[in-house]
Amino acid sequence: MTPTYMNIMLAFTISLLGMLTYRSHLVASLLCLEGMMMSLFIMATLTASNTHFPLANIMPIILLVFAACETAVGLALLISISNTYGLDYVHNLNLLQC
Amino acid sequence: MAYILFTLSVLLVMGFVGFSSKPSPIYGGLALTVSGVVGCVIVLNCGGGYMGLMMFLVYLGGMMVVFGYTTAMAIEEYPETWGSGLEVLGGLLVGLMMEVMLVLWVLSLNEAVVVVVGFSDTGDWVIFEGEGSGLIRGDSIGAGALYDYGRWLVVVAGWTLFVGVYVVIEIVRGN
Repeated sequence: MTPTYMNIMLAFTISLLGMLTYRSHLVASLLCLEGMMMSLFIMATLTASNTHFPLANIMPIILLVFAACETAVGLALLISISNTYGLDYVHNLNLLQC
Repeated sequence: MAYILFTLSVLLVMGFVGFSSKPSPIYGGLALTVSGVVGCVIVLNCGGGYMGLMMFLVYLGGMMVVFGYTTAMAIEEYPETWGSGLEVLGGLLVGLMMEVMLVLWVLSLNEAVVVVVGFSDTGDWVIFEGEGSGLIRGDSIGAGALYDYGRWLVVVAGWTLFVGVYVVIEIVRGN
């Protein structure tokens, strides 16, 4: 089971790196955030199945609930940015000017 | 088929590299959907039918559809795909090459050296007929216990979703 866990942790790290680097769009970073949540869900479900501990299946379900809330708020922010600037380009977000 | 779980996890990493190399978000959403399908099959291979189907419903059917609509609102005229620029293609190739080299290195560890990655077994499941009835699946029983031992957690999560909807409405309203 260890190489599978290694691959899933690697997928989480790749999504984390993708979220921390900006290219032009903001929604691409939100997609990488979704990828992180999905890899965490898969890892928690595999752990709960492999250790024969069904009660631990509660954790991925609640993780999915809060990830859905986070996605909704992130997309609402994206929509308000898109209403203000026309597109969700990251170089438009220069109100701080630092 | 042997080594199916390891192969599926390699495909999962490749799908994740596909959207982490940051193409235009509509193609990123496509790669995330494919990765979600592969991840659901991984969960199904370990006996988690309920959790895999819940991931399909909530994640792919709910959140990806919302992502697709939102991306369609905030997209440019010529979206860049994986082959239309050196940055995205370079990131994709570096990620795939890293995964291939990692797989080859892991497969070359013949002895059962348990450092962090011990390739003594690939982790595939073997079906055995041990228990009496196969009707009680573990993951659906565990998810059902959410409404028994985790009553307060269900109330908090439901209230969070409710307040989240109000937060979204207030953000989108603007002024």
